[in-house]
Amino acid sequence: MNSKSIKQIHDALLNGEITSRELIDQNIKLSKEVNSKYNAFVTILEDIESKDVNENLLSGIPFAAKDNYSTKRILSTGSSNTLKDYVPFFDATAISNLYKSGAVLTSKTAMDEFGMGGTGTTAHTGITRNPWDKTRMCAGSSSGSACAVASGAVSFALGSDTGDSIRKPAAYCGIVGYKPTYGMISRYGLFPFASSLDTCGVLTRSVEDAAIVVDAMKGLDPNDMTTFDSSNMELYNNLSDNVKSKKLFYINELVEEENYPNISEEFKEHLKIFKDTLEKAKELGMSVEGVSIDKKILNALPSVYVVLSCAEATSNMSNLTGFIFGPSSDADNYIEKMKNYRTNGFSSLIKRRFIIGSYVLQKENQERYFINAQRVRRLITDIMKDFYKEYDAMIMPVGVGVAKHLDNSLDMLDESTSVLDEFLQVGNFGGFPSITIPNGFINNLPVGVNITGNCYNDQEVLNIAYALEGVMPYKNQIAREVNHE
Amino acid sequence: MNFTEDKIKKLADLLLIGLTDEETKMVLDEFDIIDKNINKINEIENISEIEPMTHALDSFCYELRSDKVEESCTLEELLSNSDNNDGAAVVLPKVVG
Repeated sequence: MNSKSIKQIHDALLNGEITSRELIDQNIKLSKEVNSKYNAFVTILEDIESKDVNENLLSGIPFAAKDNYSTKRILSTGSSNTLKDYVPFFDATAISNLYKSGAVLTSKTAMDEFGMGGTGTTAHTGITRNPWDKTRMCAGSSSGSACAVASGAVSFALGSDTGDSIRKPAAYCGIVGYKPTYGMISRYGLFPFASSLDTCGVLTRSVEDAAIVVDAMKGLDPNDMTTFDSSNMELYNNLSDNVKSKKLFYINELVEEENYPNISEEFKEHLKIFKDTLEKAKELGMSVEGVSIDKKILNALPSVYVVLSCAEATSNMSNLTGFIFGPSSDADNYIEKMKNYRTNGFSSLIKRRFIIGSYVLQKENQERYFINAQRVRRLITDIMKDFYKEYDAMIMPVGVGVAKHLDNSLDMLDESTSVLDEFLQVGNFGGFPSITIPNGFINNLPVGVNITGNCYNDQEVLNIAYALEGVMPYKNQIAREVNHE
Repeated sequence: MNFTEDKIKKLADLLLIGLTDEETKMVLDEFDIIDKNINKINEIENISEIEPMTHALDSFCYELRSDKVEESCTLEELLSNSDNNDGAAVVLPKVVG
C-alpha cells in the first residue's frame, strides 16, 4: 500500500480497506527491508501511534524526513558523526505543519553529511545505494529520501536542496523532486548549509503528490523571516494539464550535441530522450525554443556555487565546537577538545568545504572569490529573469546520463565537470521553483527532465510538469532493480 | 596562485581541523580548478560594476515579528538532550581564563 499514490492510500484508509495502524506497520517492515538492501535510513521509528483519518489527504499517511530536519525527541544527525547522538527539543516548522495535516513520521533518511555532497556516499551510516542498481549512487544530498520513495517504502519523503540535492537524486532514482520558490517553506529547524540557497522540498512519485505535500508544508513562519505568505496558492487544487500556448526555453550551449566533442553514447542517448520530451511538449500545445547564454558565464557557474556554498557553510558551521552538540573528547584543554571533535567527526568532504570557505572569506581574498561569485550570481539570475519575461519556464535535462557508478563517487569538482551536470544550481541562485520528473530510460536506468520557472510561479511549473508526466509512462513507478548476472 | 600546502595547513589550524596529507592534496587540486574558473569571471566585461547578489530573493521585503513573549520550551526539555547538567544549566568544559 505504501507504494500507491497519496490519493489512493487516502481512499483506502477512508473506505476501511486498510487502517492507519496497518499502514504504519507495513511501512516499518518495508523500510527495514529497504534499509537492509540499500542503507537508506538513519532511524526507523518503532512504537508509532496511529492517527485519526479525516478529510485531509495526508491524515494517517506515513512519511520519511531527511535527517537534517529537526524532529522533537527523535534522533536528528545530519548524517554526521559530530551529531550522531543529537536529539532536538523542537520540530522543524515543515515537520509540525505535516503533523497538523495528520501525516505520520516513520523514519529519518540518510544524506550526504550536512547536505554538502552530491553522491549519497558520505553519511556517517555509510553509502546509500540506488534501488535501480546497487552498484550505483542515488546522488545527493537527499539520497536516502530518494531511495525510500523510489523503492516504495513511503509515498513521500522530505528533502532539502542547496544546489540540486532534491532534483538530481530524483532523476537518478526515477521519481519526482520538487524544490519550491525560496521562502515558500520555512527553514526553521532545517540544519543550515548555505542559508541563501537552502530550500525545503519533497520527493514523491508523482507531481500530484508533490503538490499535496508542499501545500501542507508551506506557509509564513515567524521563526523564519525569509518566508512569504503563499496562502493564495493551492497547488493541488489548481493542478491543470492545460498548458496550451505555454512557452518553454532551453539553453542551446548545454544541450546541443556538437558542443561536446567527446560525447559518450550514454550522454548522446540522454540528449535524444530530452529532445523526445521537447516533442511531447509541442504535442501538448507548448512552444519550445533554444536560447543562448555567454559561455564565460556558463563556465563559471560550478565554481561560483562552490565558492558561495562553502563560504556560507563555514560561517554556519562555526557552532560545531563539540561543546554544544555531539561527543566531546577526553583532551585536557578546550582547543584540543574542539580539534579532536572536528578532526575525527567531519568527513574529508566537509573538511575540504570548510578550508575553501575559510580561504575565500579571508579579507584579502574576498573580492576575487566571494564577491565576484556573488556578482556572477546576479548576472545569471538577471539573465534568467529576462528569459522569464518572454517564456513561462525553462526545460533542461537533469545531469549527463544515468546514476553514476559508486566507484566514481569522490565528489570533487574536476575540470571535466560539465556545466550541464551542475546547471540546476541556477534554480538556487535565483530562488526559482524547480521540479524534476522522470522522462526515460537508458539501459534500464532512469533519467529525468527539469522544469524551472520564475519566483512565485510554482503553479505554472507544476502544471507544465503535470502535463508532461501525463503523456509519459513513468508516473508512480517503483524501482525495478537491474540484474547484473 | 598563493593557495599553497602551507596556506592550507594554516587555515586548517585556524579552523581547528586536522587534515591528512591526502586531504590536503584534495583541497589543493580542487582549489586549482576553482582558481582557473574564477579567472574566467574576471574576463567578464565590467564585472566589478555589478552589484553582488547576497540572497535568493534580494528584492524581498522582510517583516520583523512583533516583540512579544511567546510560549517556549521548558527547562526540562532543554536539558533533556545534554549528557551533563546540574539541573539548571549544561555543564561545559572550561573555555575562558
